Amino acid sequence: MIAYLLHLAILGGIYVILAISLNLIVGYAGQVSLGHAAFYGIGAYVSALTSLLCHFPFPLAALSAIIFTGACGLLLGLPTLRLKEDYLAIVTLGFGVIVDLVFLNLDITGGPDGLPGIPAPSFLGVSFRSPWLYLVLTLMVVLLTLGLTYRLVHSYHGRALRAIRDHEVTAQVMGINTPAYKVAIFTLAAALAGLAGSLYAHYITFINPESFGLHTSILALCMVVLGGMGSLAGAVVGALALTVLPEILREFRAYQDLVYGGLLVGLLIWRPQGLLGRGKLSLKFISRE
Amino acid sequence: MFLQQLLNGLTAGAVYALIALGYTMIYGILGLINFAQGEIYMCGAFVAVLLLGTGQVNFYVAFAGGMAAAALLGVVLERVAFRPLRGAHPLVPLISAIGASIFLQSLALLLFGPLDRSFPIQFSFSTITIAGLPVSSLQGAILGAALGLMALLVIFVRYTRYGKAIVACALDRDTARLMGINVDRMVSLTFFIGSALSGAAGIMMAIYYNATYPRMGLLPGLKAFSAAVLGGVGSIPGAICGGLLLGVAESLGAAYISSGYKDAFAFAILILVLLIRPKGILGGRGD
Repeated sequence: MIAYLLHLAILGGIYVILAISLNLIVGYAGQVSLGHAAFYGIGAYVSALTSLLCHFPFPLAALSAIIFTGACGLLLGLPTLRLKEDYLAIVTLGFGVIVDLVFLNLDITGGPDGLPGIPAPSFLGVSFRSPWLYLVLTLMVVLLTLGLTYRLVHSYHGRALRAIRDHEVTAQVMGINTPAYKVAIFTLAAALAGLAGSLYAHYITFINPESFGLHTSILALCMVVLGGMGSLAGAVVGALALTVLPEILREFRAYQDLVYGGLLVGLLIWRPQGLLGRGKLSLKFISRE
Repeated sequence: MFLQQLLNGLTAGAVYALIALGYTMIYGILGLINFAQGEIYMCGAFVAVLLLGTGQVNFYVAFAGGMAAAALLGVVLERVAFRPLRGAHPLVPLISAIGASIFLQSLALLLFGPLDRSFPIQFSFSTITIAGLPVSSLQGAILGAALGLMALLVIFVRYTRYGKAIVACALDRDTARLMGINVDRMVSLTFFIGSALSGAAGIMMAIYYNATYPRMGLLPGLKAFSAAVLGGVGSIPGAICGGLLLGVAESLGAAYISSGYKDAFAFAILILVLLIRPKGILGGRGD
Protein backbone atom coordinates (compact mmCIF):
# COMPACT_ATOMS: atom_id res chain seq x y z
CA MET A 1 0.00 0.00 0.00
CA ILE A 2 2.78 2.41 0.96
CA ALA A 3 4.62 1.47 -2.22
CA TYR A 4 1.49 2.21 -4.23
CA LEU A 5 0.97 5.60 -2.56
CA LEU A 6 4.64 6.43 -3.20
CA HIS A 7 4.20 5.52 -6.84
CA LEU A 8 1.16 7.81 -7.09
CA ALA A 9 3.01 10.63 -5.33
CA ILE A 10 5.96 10.42 -7.73
CA LEU A 11 3.69 10.27 -10.80
CA GLY A 12 1.65 13.14 -9.36
CA GLY A 13 4.81 15.20 -8.98
CA ILE A 14 5.81 14.53 -12.58
CA TYR A 15 2.33 15.51 -13.78
CA VAL A 16 2.51 18.69 -11.69
CA ILE A 17 5.61 19.75 -13.67
CA LEU A 18 3.85 18.87 -16.93
CA ALA A 19 0.69 20.79 -15.97
CA ILE A 20 2.66 23.85 -14.80
CA SER A 21 4.56 23.98 -18.07
CA LEU A 22 1.37 23.66 -20.13
CA ASN A 23 -0.28 26.30 -17.97
CA LEU A 24 2.47 28.73 -18.96
CA ILE A 25 1.32 28.33 -22.57
CA VAL A 26 -2.44 28.16 -21.99
CA GLY A 27 -3.02 30.29 -18.93
CA TYR A 28 -0.33 32.93 -19.30
CA ALA A 29 0.34 33.23 -23.02
CA GLY A 30 -3.23 32.39 -24.11
CA GLN A 31 -2.21 29.69 -26.62
CA VAL A 32 -3.22 26.03 -26.85
CA SER A 33 -0.69 23.25 -27.26
CA LEU A 34 -2.03 19.81 -28.14
CA GLY A 35 1.41 18.29 -28.49
CA HIS A 36 2.61 18.68 -24.97
CA ALA A 37 2.91 14.93 -24.59
CA ALA A 38 5.27 14.97 -27.59
CA PHE A 39 7.71 17.24 -25.72
CA TYR A 40 7.27 15.06 -22.65
CA GLY A 41 8.05 12.02 -24.81
CA ILE A 42 11.04 13.62 -26.54
CA GLY A 43 12.43 14.51 -23.12
CA ALA A 44 11.95 10.93 -21.95
CA TYR A 45 13.59 9.42 -25.05
CA VAL A 46 16.51 11.86 -25.17
CA SER A 47 17.22 11.36 -21.50
CA ALA A 48 16.96 7.58 -21.79
CA LEU A 49 19.11 7.39 -24.93
CA THR A 50 21.85 9.66 -23.63
CA SER A 51 22.16 7.62 -20.46
CA LEU A 52 21.93 4.26 -22.26
CA LEU A 53 24.22 5.03 -25.20
CA CYS A 54 26.52 7.78 -23.93
CA HIS A 55 26.39 6.74 -20.25
CA PHE A 56 25.57 10.28 -19.19
CA PRO A 57 24.87 10.68 -15.46
CA PHE A 58 21.29 11.71 -14.67
CA PRO A 59 21.83 15.49 -14.32
CA LEU A 60 23.57 15.63 -17.69
CA ALA A 61 20.92 13.41 -19.33
CA ALA A 62 18.14 15.59 -17.92
CA LEU A 63 19.96 18.70 -19.10
CA SER A 64 20.28 17.33 -22.63
CA ALA A 65 16.56 16.48 -22.55
CA ILE A 66 15.77 20.05 -21.51
CA ILE A 67 17.98 21.57 -24.19
CA PHE A 68 16.72 19.27 -26.94
CA THR A 69 13.00 19.74 -26.18
CA GLY A 70 13.55 23.47 -25.79
CA ALA A 71 15.12 23.56 -29.26
CA CYS A 72 12.15 21.60 -30.67
CA GLY A 73 9.77 24.08 -29.04
CA LEU A 74 11.72 26.98 -30.52
CA LEU A 75 11.64 25.50 -34.02
CA LEU A 76 7.92 24.77 -33.78
CA GLY A 77 7.03 28.09 -32.19
CA LEU A 78 8.90 30.37 -34.58
CA PRO A 79 6.65 29.86 -37.63
CA THR A 80 3.37 29.40 -35.77
CA LEU A 81 3.29 31.86 -32.91
CA ARG A 82 3.17 34.90 -35.19
CA LEU A 83 -0.33 33.73 -36.14
CA LYS A 84 -3.65 33.21 -34.37
CA GLU A 85 -3.88 30.69 -31.51
CA ASP A 86 -5.77 28.11 -33.60
CA TYR A 87 -2.68 27.50 -35.72
CA LEU A 88 -0.56 26.53 -32.76
CA ALA A 89 -3.22 24.05 -31.63
CA ILE A 90 -3.33 22.33 -35.03
CA VAL A 91 0.42 22.45 -35.60
CA THR A 92 1.13 20.97 -32.18
CA LEU A 93 -1.52 18.29 -32.78
CA GLY A 94 0.25 17.42 -36.03
CA PHE A 95 3.60 17.55 -34.26
CA GLY A 96 2.27 15.02 -31.75
CA VAL A 97 1.26 12.66 -34.56
CA ILE A 98 4.65 13.04 -36.29
CA VAL A 99 6.66 12.50 -33.11
CA ASP A 100 4.61 9.36 -32.47
CA LEU A 101 5.46 8.15 -36.00
CA VAL A 102 9.15 8.91 -35.46
CA PHE A 103 9.23 6.99 -32.16
CA LEU A 104 7.54 4.04 -33.88
CA ASN A 105 9.72 4.03 -37.01
CA LEU A 106 13.25 4.80 -35.80
CA ASP A 107 15.58 1.96 -34.91
CA ILE A 108 17.29 3.86 -32.13
CA THR A 109 14.02 4.31 -30.18
CA GLY A 110 13.24 0.61 -30.32
CA GLY A 111 10.05 1.12 -32.35
CA PRO A 112 6.81 -0.07 -30.75
CA ASP A 113 8.75 -2.20 -28.24
CA GLY A 114 10.21 0.86 -26.58
CA LEU A 115 13.37 1.19 -24.54
CA PRO A 116 13.86 -1.05 -21.52
CA GLY A 117 16.50 -0.91 -18.81
CA ILE A 118 16.90 2.83 -18.34
CA PRO A 119 19.20 3.26 -15.34
CA ALA A 120 17.84 4.84 -12.17
CA PRO A 121 19.56 8.14 -11.49
CA SER A 122 22.62 8.14 -9.30
CA PHE A 123 24.75 11.16 -8.63
CA LEU A 124 26.74 12.74 -5.81
CA GLY A 125 27.33 9.18 -4.67
CA VAL A 126 23.61 8.59 -4.00
CA SER A 127 21.57 6.10 -6.01
CA PHE A 128 17.92 7.10 -6.35
CA ARG A 129 16.73 3.56 -6.90
CA SER A 130 14.48 3.48 -3.83
CA PRO A 131 11.05 5.11 -4.29
CA TRP A 132 11.52 7.26 -1.17
CA LEU A 133 14.65 8.86 -2.54
CA TYR A 134 13.05 9.24 -5.95
CA LEU A 135 10.11 11.02 -4.32
CA VAL A 136 12.57 13.43 -2.69
CA LEU A 137 14.23 14.03 -6.05
CA THR A 138 10.85 14.61 -7.75
CA LEU A 139 9.72 16.98 -5.01
CA MET A 140 12.95 18.96 -5.33
CA VAL A 141 12.41 19.34 -9.06
CA VAL A 142 8.75 20.26 -8.51
CA LEU A 143 9.73 22.95 -5.99
CA LEU A 144 12.41 24.26 -8.32
CA THR A 145 9.88 24.45 -11.19
CA LEU A 146 7.27 26.11 -8.97
CA GLY A 147 9.81 28.65 -7.72
CA LEU A 148 11.01 29.45 -11.22
CA THR A 149 7.50 29.86 -12.66
CA TYR A 150 6.31 31.84 -9.61
CA ARG A 151 9.17 34.27 -10.04
CA LEU A 152 8.49 34.44 -13.77
CA VAL A 153 4.76 35.12 -13.65
CA HIS A 154 5.10 37.74 -10.92
CA SER A 155 7.76 39.66 -12.79
CA TYR A 156 7.60 42.29 -15.51
CA HIS A 157 7.74 39.48 -18.05
CA GLY A 158 4.80 37.66 -16.47
CA ARG A 159 2.69 40.81 -16.61
CA ALA A 160 3.71 41.33 -20.23
CA LEU A 161 2.55 37.77 -21.01
CA ARG A 162 -0.82 38.30 -19.38
CA ALA A 163 -1.22 41.54 -21.30
CA ILE A 164 -0.61 39.60 -24.53
CA ARG A 165 -3.19 37.02 -23.52
CA ASP A 166 -5.80 39.63 -22.62
CA HIS A 167 -5.36 41.86 -25.63
CA GLU A 168 -2.51 41.33 -28.01
CA VAL A 169 -2.89 44.57 -29.97
CA THR A 170 -2.91 46.69 -26.82
CA ALA A 171 0.15 44.82 -25.58
CA GLN A 172 1.91 45.61 -28.85
CA VAL A 173 0.94 49.27 -28.56
CA MET A 174 2.51 49.31 -25.09
CA GLY A 175 5.78 48.28 -26.70
CA ILE A 176 5.79 44.56 -25.89
CA ASN A 177 7.41 42.39 -28.56
CA THR A 178 4.55 39.88 -28.57
CA PRO A 179 5.93 37.20 -30.94
CA ALA A 180 9.24 37.11 -29.08
CA TYR A 181 7.46 36.68 -25.75
CA LYS A 182 5.22 33.93 -27.07
CA VAL A 183 8.12 32.02 -28.61
CA ALA A 184 10.18 32.39 -25.44
CA ILE A 185 7.44 31.08 -23.16
CA PHE A 186 6.64 28.23 -25.54
CA THR A 187 10.30 27.22 -25.59
CA LEU A 188 10.51 27.35 -21.80
CA ALA A 189 7.32 25.29 -21.46
CA ALA A 190 8.63 22.70 -23.92
CA ALA A 191 11.88 22.46 -21.98
CA LEU A 192 10.02 21.95 -18.69
CA ALA A 193 7.89 19.22 -20.29
CA GLY A 194 11.16 17.61 -21.40
CA LEU A 195 12.38 17.71 -17.80
CA ALA A 196 9.16 15.99 -16.68
CA GLY A 197 9.72 13.34 -19.38
CA SER A 198 13.27 12.76 -18.17
CA LEU A 199 12.04 12.23 -14.61
CA TYR A 200 9.39 9.82 -15.90
CA ALA A 201 11.84 7.77 -17.99
CA HIS A 202 14.32 7.28 -15.16
CA TYR A 203 11.56 6.44 -12.69
CA ILE A 204 9.63 3.89 -14.78
CA THR A 205 12.92 2.66 -16.42
CA PHE A 206 10.95 1.50 -19.47
CA ILE A 207 9.37 3.75 -22.08
CA ASN A 208 7.39 3.11 -25.26
CA PRO A 209 5.48 5.44 -27.61
CA GLU A 210 2.14 4.60 -25.97
CA SER A 211 2.76 6.83 -22.96
CA PHE A 212 3.25 9.96 -25.07
CA GLY A 213 0.26 10.03 -27.40
CA LEU A 214 -2.62 12.44 -27.82
CA HIS A 215 -4.32 10.99 -24.75
CA THR A 216 -1.57 12.36 -22.52
CA SER A 217 -1.70 15.79 -24.19
CA ILE A 218 -5.45 15.96 -23.54
CA LEU A 219 -4.93 14.79 -19.97
CA ALA A 220 -2.46 17.64 -19.39
CA LEU A 221 -4.90 20.14 -20.92
CA CYS A 222 -7.67 18.84 -18.63
CA MET A 223 -5.41 19.31 -15.61
CA VAL A 224 -4.83 22.95 -16.55
CA VAL A 225 -8.49 23.75 -17.33
CA LEU A 226 -9.76 21.91 -14.24
CA GLY A 227 -7.35 23.63 -11.88
CA GLY A 228 -7.79 27.01 -13.50
CA MET A 229 -6.04 28.55 -16.48
CA GLY A 230 -3.52 31.11 -15.33
CA SER A 231 -3.23 29.84 -11.76
CA LEU A 232 -0.10 28.04 -10.52
CA ALA A 233 -1.88 26.52 -7.52
CA GLY A 234 -4.62 25.46 -9.92
CA ALA A 235 -2.17 23.54 -12.09
CA VAL A 236 -0.89 21.70 -9.01
CA VAL A 237 -4.39 20.85 -7.79
CA GLY A 238 -5.58 19.89 -11.28
CA ALA A 239 -2.59 17.59 -11.81
CA LEU A 240 -2.95 15.89 -8.44
CA ALA A 241 -6.72 15.50 -8.83
CA LEU A 242 -6.40 13.88 -12.24
CA THR A 243 -3.63 11.57 -10.97
CA VAL A 244 -5.64 10.34 -8.00
CA LEU A 245 -9.22 10.31 -9.36
CA PRO A 246 -8.60 7.77 -12.18
CA GLU A 247 -7.07 5.43 -9.58
CA ILE A 248 -10.11 5.70 -7.30
CA LEU A 249 -12.54 5.28 -10.20
CA ARG A 250 -10.64 2.41 -11.74
CA GLU A 251 -13.71 0.39 -12.70
CA PHE A 252 -14.90 3.24 -14.95
CA ARG A 253 -11.65 3.23 -16.90
CA ALA A 254 -13.43 2.81 -20.25
CA TYR A 255 -15.23 6.10 -19.71
CA GLN A 256 -12.06 8.08 -18.92
CA ASP A 257 -11.66 9.94 -22.21
CA LEU A 258 -15.40 10.53 -22.42
CA VAL A 259 -15.24 12.25 -19.04
CA TYR A 260 -12.18 14.32 -20.02
CA GLY A 261 -13.91 15.57 -23.16
CA GLY A 262 -17.14 16.37 -21.33
CA LEU A 263 -15.14 18.01 -18.55
CA LEU A 264 -13.44 20.42 -20.97
CA VAL A 265 -16.71 21.54 -22.59
CA GLY A 266 -18.69 21.67 -19.34
CA LEU A 267 -16.05 23.56 -17.36
CA LEU A 268 -15.66 26.21 -20.05
CA ILE A 269 -19.42 26.80 -20.18
CA TRP A 270 -20.15 26.81 -16.46
CA ARG A 271 -16.88 27.54 -14.68
CA PRO A 272 -14.28 28.85 -17.13
CA GLN A 273 -11.95 29.95 -14.33
CA GLY A 274 -11.57 26.33 -13.15
CA LEU A 275 -11.38 25.29 -9.51
CA LEU A 276 -8.84 27.83 -8.32
CA GLY A 277 -8.64 30.47 -11.04
CA ARG A 278 -9.45 33.98 -9.90
CA GLY A 279 -12.59 35.45 -11.47
CA LYS A 280 -10.92 38.57 -12.76
CA LEU A 281 -8.21 36.56 -14.49
CA SER A 282 -10.69 34.28 -16.17
CA LEU A 283 -10.63 34.40 -19.91
CA LYS A 284 -14.36 34.61 -20.38
CA PHE A 285 -14.73 38.33 -19.89
CA ILE A 286 -12.34 39.46 -22.53
CA SER A 287 -13.85 39.89 -25.92
CA ARG A 288 -11.89 40.45 -29.06
CA GLU A 289 -14.75 41.33 -31.31
CA MET B 1 3.16 4.84 -62.32
CA PHE B 2 3.31 8.62 -62.04
CA LEU B 3 -0.16 9.09 -63.54
CA GLN B 4 -1.54 6.34 -61.29
CA GLN B 5 -0.16 8.09 -58.20
CA LEU B 6 -1.55 11.38 -59.49
CA LEU B 7 -4.99 9.83 -59.75
CA ASN B 8 -4.76 8.26 -56.27
CA GLY B 9 -3.75 11.65 -54.95
CA LEU B 10 -6.63 13.42 -56.64
CA THR B 11 -9.13 10.95 -55.19
CA ALA B 12 -7.87 11.39 -51.63
CA GLY B 13 -7.47 15.11 -52.28
CA ALA B 14 -11.10 15.50 -53.34
CA VAL B 15 -12.15 14.00 -50.01
CA TYR B 16 -9.76 16.28 -48.09
CA ALA B 17 -11.25 19.20 -50.00
CA LEU B 18 -14.77 18.28 -48.87
CA ILE B 19 -13.67 18.32 -45.20
CA ALA B 20 -11.59 21.47 -45.75
CA LEU B 21 -14.75 23.20 -47.03
CA GLY B 22 -16.36 22.58 -43.65
CA TYR B 23 -13.36 24.07 -41.84
CA THR B 24 -13.18 27.03 -44.14
CA MET B 25 -16.90 27.91 -44.08
CA ILE B 26 -17.06 27.75 -40.29
CA TYR B 27 -13.84 29.73 -40.01
CA GLY B 28 -15.24 32.28 -42.41
CA ILE B 29 -18.40 32.91 -40.42
CA LEU B 30 -17.23 32.46 -36.81
CA GLY B 31 -13.47 32.94 -37.04
CA LEU B 32 -12.84 29.68 -35.19
CA ILE B 33 -11.58 26.28 -36.14
CA ASN B 34 -14.01 23.46 -35.47
CA PHE B 35 -11.72 20.84 -34.03
CA ALA B 36 -14.46 18.24 -34.07
CA GLN B 37 -14.74 18.25 -37.89
CA GLY B 38 -12.96 14.89 -38.05
CA GLU B 39 -15.50 13.37 -35.66
CA ILE B 40 -18.35 14.65 -37.81
CA TYR B 41 -16.68 12.87 -40.74
CA MET B 42 -16.51 9.71 -38.63
CA CYS B 43 -20.19 10.06 -37.62
CA GLY B 44 -21.31 10.25 -41.26
CA ALA B 45 -19.41 7.07 -42.11
CA PHE B 46 -20.72 5.17 -39.08
CA VAL B 47 -24.37 6.09 -39.63
CA ALA B 48 -24.18 5.06 -43.29
CA VAL B 49 -22.48 1.75 -42.41
CA LEU B 50 -25.00 1.00 -39.64
CA LEU B 51 -27.97 1.87 -41.88
CA LEU B 52 -26.67 -0.40 -44.62
CA GLY B 53 -25.95 -3.08 -42.02
CA THR B 54 -29.66 -3.33 -41.21
CA GLY B 55 -30.25 -4.50 -44.76
CA GLN B 56 -33.46 -2.45 -44.95
CA VAL B 57 -32.25 0.47 -47.03
CA ASN B 58 -30.45 0.88 -50.32
CA PHE B 59 -27.11 2.62 -50.80
CA TYR B 60 -28.47 6.06 -51.73
CA VAL B 61 -30.76 6.26 -48.70
CA ALA B 62 -27.86 5.24 -46.44
CA PHE B 63 -25.61 7.87 -48.04
CA ALA B 64 -28.23 10.58 -47.52
CA GLY B 65 -28.84 9.32 -43.98
CA GLY B 66 -25.14 9.52 -43.14
CA MET B 67 -24.92 13.06 -44.49
CA ALA B 68 -28.05 14.10 -42.58
CA ALA B 69 -26.77 12.62 -39.31
CA ALA B 70 -23.42 14.40 -39.74
CA ALA B 71 -25.23 17.67 -40.49
CA LEU B 72 -27.43 17.28 -37.42
CA LEU B 73 -24.41 16.54 -35.24
CA GLY B 74 -22.76 19.69 -36.54
CA VAL B 75 -25.78 21.84 -35.66
CA VAL B 76 -26.08 20.30 -32.18
CA LEU B 77 -22.36 20.76 -31.62
CA GLU B 78 -22.61 24.45 -32.46
CA ARG B 79 -25.54 24.89 -30.05
CA VAL B 80 -23.87 23.05 -27.17
CA ALA B 81 -20.15 23.72 -27.46
CA PHE B 82 -19.83 27.00 -29.39
CA ARG B 83 -22.89 29.23 -29.00
CA PRO B 84 -22.71 29.62 -25.18
CA LEU B 85 -19.08 30.72 -25.58
CA ARG B 86 -19.48 33.26 -28.36
CA GLY B 87 -17.73 36.53 -27.55
CA ALA B 88 -15.31 34.87 -25.12
CA HIS B 89 -11.53 34.87 -25.55
CA PRO B 90 -10.76 32.82 -28.70
CA LEU B 91 -8.92 30.30 -26.55
CA VAL B 92 -12.19 29.28 -24.87
CA PRO B 93 -14.19 27.95 -27.86
CA LEU B 94 -10.99 26.33 -29.15
CA ILE B 95 -10.55 24.24 -25.98
CA SER B 96 -14.28 23.53 -25.94
CA ALA B 97 -14.05 22.17 -29.49
CA ILE B 98 -11.09 19.97 -28.50
CA GLY B 99 -13.18 18.65 -25.61
CA ALA B 100 -16.11 17.95 -27.93
CA SER B 101 -13.80 16.11 -30.32
CA ILE B 102 -12.42 13.85 -27.58
CA PHE B 103 -15.92 13.30 -26.19
CA LEU B 104 -17.34 12.20 -29.56
CA GLN B 105 -14.35 10.00 -30.34
CA SER B 106 -14.54 8.12 -27.04
CA LEU B 107 -18.34 7.91 -27.29
CA ALA B 108 -17.92 6.20 -30.67
CA LEU B 109 -15.30 3.91 -29.14
CA LEU B 110 -17.73 2.88 -26.39
CA LEU B 111 -20.69 2.42 -28.73
CA PHE B 112 -18.99 0.72 -31.66
CA GLY B 113 -15.78 -0.80 -30.26
CA PRO B 114 -12.25 -0.23 -31.53
CA LEU B 115 -12.27 -2.66 -34.44
CA ASP B 116 -12.44 -1.74 -38.13
CA ARG B 117 -15.77 -2.36 -39.81
CA SER B 118 -15.82 -3.21 -43.44
CA PHE B 119 -18.35 -1.56 -45.73
CA PRO B 120 -21.49 -3.75 -45.70
CA ILE B 121 -22.09 -3.89 -49.43
CA GLN B 122 -19.66 -4.79 -52.17
CA PHE B 123 -19.54 -2.76 -55.32
CA SER B 124 -18.73 -4.47 -58.56
CA PHE B 125 -16.38 -1.82 -59.83
CA SER B 126 -14.40 -2.49 -62.92
CA THR B 127 -11.05 -1.18 -64.01
CA ILE B 128 -11.13 0.66 -67.25
CA THR B 129 -8.08 1.66 -69.22
CA ILE B 130 -7.91 5.22 -70.43
CA ALA B 131 -4.90 6.05 -72.60
CA GLY B 132 -2.91 3.14 -71.21
CA LEU B 133 -3.73 4.14 -67.61
CA PRO B 134 -5.80 1.72 -65.51
CA VAL B 135 -8.52 3.71 -63.75
CA SER B 136 -10.68 2.05 -61.12
CA SER B 137 -14.24 3.19 -61.61
CA LEU B 138 -14.49 3.44 -57.79
CA GLN B 139 -11.93 6.22 -57.89
CA GLY B 140 -13.78 7.82 -60.75
CA ALA B 141 -17.07 7.67 -58.86
CA ILE B 142 -15.57 9.19 -55.69
CA LEU B 143 -13.84 11.92 -57.63
CA GLY B 144 -17.00 12.67 -59.60
CA ALA B 145 -19.28 12.72 -56.55
CA ALA B 146 -16.91 14.93 -54.58
CA LEU B 147 -16.49 17.41 -57.42
CA GLY B 148 -20.27 17.40 -57.93
CA LEU B 149 -20.90 18.25 -54.27
CA MET B 150 -18.33 21.05 -54.48
CA ALA B 151 -20.00 22.48 -57.58
CA LEU B 152 -23.37 22.40 -55.80
CA LEU B 153 -21.86 24.25 -52.85
CA VAL B 154 -20.33 26.94 -55.05
CA ILE B 155 -23.65 27.44 -56.86
CA PHE B 156 -25.48 27.62 -53.52
CA VAL B 157 -23.12 30.22 -52.08
CA ARG B 158 -22.96 32.34 -55.23
CA TYR B 159 -26.53 32.37 -56.47
CA THR B 160 -29.06 31.71 -53.70
CA ARG B 161 -30.43 34.09 -51.05
CA TYR B 162 -29.22 31.93 -48.18
CA GLY B 163 -25.79 31.50 -49.70
CA LYS B 164 -25.39 35.22 -50.12
CA ALA B 165 -26.60 35.74 -46.54
CA ILE B 166 -23.85 33.39 -45.30
CA VAL B 167 -21.26 35.36 -47.25
CA ALA B 168 -22.63 38.60 -45.80
CA CYS B 169 -22.30 37.21 -42.26
CA ALA B 170 -18.75 36.11 -43.00
CA LEU B 171 -17.84 39.58 -44.28
CA ASP B 172 -19.38 41.55 -41.41
CA ARG B 173 -21.65 39.96 -38.88
CA ASP B 174 -22.96 43.19 -37.35
CA THR B 175 -23.82 44.82 -40.66
CA ALA B 176 -25.48 41.60 -41.81
CA ARG B 177 -27.66 41.71 -38.70
CA LEU B 178 -28.59 45.34 -39.45
CA MET B 179 -29.68 44.24 -42.93
CA GLY B 180 -32.19 41.89 -41.33
CA ILE B 181 -30.25 38.63 -41.64
CA ASN B 182 -30.80 36.21 -38.78
CA VAL B 183 -27.13 35.63 -37.97
CA ASP B 184 -27.69 32.75 -35.55
CA ARG B 185 -29.70 30.88 -38.16
CA MET B 186 -26.97 31.48 -40.77
CA VAL B 187 -24.34 30.12 -38.38
CA SER B 188 -26.48 27.01 -37.87
CA LEU B 189 -26.92 26.69 -41.62
CA THR B 190 -23.16 26.96 -42.15
CA PHE B 191 -22.54 24.19 -39.63
CA PHE B 192 -25.31 22.14 -41.28
CA ILE B 193 -23.79 22.40 -44.78
CA GLY B 194 -20.15 22.07 -43.73
CA SER B 195 -20.93 19.02 -41.60
CA ALA B 196 -23.02 17.39 -44.33
CA LEU B 197 -20.04 17.69 -46.70
CA SER B 198 -17.70 16.19 -44.09
CA GLY B 199 -20.17 13.36 -43.54
CA ALA B 200 -20.21 12.65 -47.27
CA ALA B 201 -16.40 12.64 -47.25
CA GLY B 202 -16.47 10.12 -44.39
CA ILE B 203 -18.76 7.75 -46.29
CA MET B 204 -16.57 7.98 -49.42
CA MET B 205 -13.43 7.15 -47.44
CA ALA B 206 -15.26 4.31 -45.67
CA ILE B 207 -15.95 2.80 -49.11
CA TYR B 208 -12.50 3.59 -50.52
CA TYR B 209 -10.48 2.06 -47.68
CA ASN B 210 -13.25 -0.37 -46.66
CA ALA B 211 -12.73 0.55 -43.00
CA THR B 212 -14.79 2.50 -40.47
CA TYR B 213 -13.45 3.01 -36.94
CA PRO B 214 -13.78 5.60 -34.14
CA ARG B 215 -10.43 7.32 -34.70
CA MET B 216 -10.73 7.51 -38.48
CA GLY B 217 -11.38 11.25 -38.34
CA LEU B 218 -8.15 12.32 -36.65
CA LEU B 219 -5.69 12.25 -39.55
CA PRO B 220 -8.08 13.29 -42.36
CA GLY B 221 -9.21 16.17 -40.12
CA LEU B 222 -5.63 17.27 -39.61
CA LYS B 223 -4.83 16.95 -43.30
CA ALA B 224 -7.98 18.79 -44.34
CA PHE B 225 -7.02 21.62 -42.02
CA SER B 226 -3.61 21.76 -43.70
CA ALA B 227 -5.44 21.83 -47.02
CA ALA B 228 -7.62 24.73 -45.89
CA VAL B 229 -4.53 26.67 -44.76
CA LEU B 230 -2.71 25.82 -47.98
CA GLY B 231 -5.55 27.25 -50.07
CA GLY B 232 -6.23 30.13 -47.67
CA VAL B 233 -8.51 29.74 -44.65
CA GLY B 234 -11.94 31.27 -45.24
CA SER B 235 -11.78 30.90 -49.03
CA ILE B 236 -14.01 28.29 -50.68
CA PRO B 237 -12.01 27.94 -53.95
CA GLY B 238 -8.91 27.89 -51.75
CA ALA B 239 -10.19 24.86 -49.82
CA ILE B 240 -10.91 22.99 -53.05
CA CYS B 241 -7.49 23.74 -54.63
CA GLY B 242 -5.70 23.15 -51.34
CA GLY B 243 -7.37 19.77 -50.83
CA LEU B 244 -6.55 18.52 -54.33
CA LEU B 245 -2.97 19.80 -54.18
CA LEU B 246 -2.38 18.28 -50.77
CA GLY B 247 -3.76 14.90 -51.84
CA VAL B 248 -1.47 14.83 -54.88
CA ALA B 249 1.57 15.99 -52.88
CA GLU B 250 0.96 13.30 -50.27
CA SER B 251 0.50 10.54 -52.81
CA LEU B 252 3.63 11.51 -54.78
CA GLY B 253 5.61 11.98 -51.57
CA ALA B 254 4.64 8.52 -50.34
CA ALA B 255 5.55 6.99 -53.71
CA TYR B 256 8.87 8.73 -54.36
CA ILE B 257 10.24 9.80 -50.95
CA SER B 258 9.10 7.54 -48.12
CA SER B 259 5.89 5.63 -47.45
CA GLY B 260 6.54 5.24 -43.69
CA TYR B 261 6.17 8.97 -43.26
CA LYS B 262 3.16 9.36 -45.59
CA ASP B 263 1.14 11.06 -42.86
CA ALA B 264 3.91 13.57 -42.21
CA PHE B 265 3.83 15.30 -45.61
CA ALA B 266 0.60 17.21 -44.96
CA PHE B 267 2.11 18.49 -41.75
CA ALA B 268 5.37 19.53 -43.41
CA ILE B 269 3.35 21.41 -46.04
CA LEU B 270 1.36 23.12 -43.27
CA ILE B 271 4.55 24.34 -41.58
CA LEU B 272 6.01 25.52 -44.89
CA VAL B 273 2.85 27.46 -45.77
CA LEU B 274 2.76 29.07 -42.34
CA LEU B 275 6.40 30.08 -42.75
CA ILE B 276 6.28 31.37 -46.30
CA ARG B 277 2.73 32.49 -47.01
CA PRO B 278 0.30 32.26 -44.08
CA LYS B 279 -2.49 33.71 -46.24
CA GLY B 280 -2.44 30.56 -48.41
CA ILE B 281 -2.08 30.39 -52.17
CA LEU B 282 -5.44 32.01 -52.91
CA GLY B 283 -5.18 34.54 -50.08
CA GLY B 284 -7.85 33.73 -47.52
CA ARG B 285 -8.40 35.55 -44.27
CA GLY B 286 -5.58 33.85 -42.38
CA ASP B 287 -3.81 36.52 -40.38
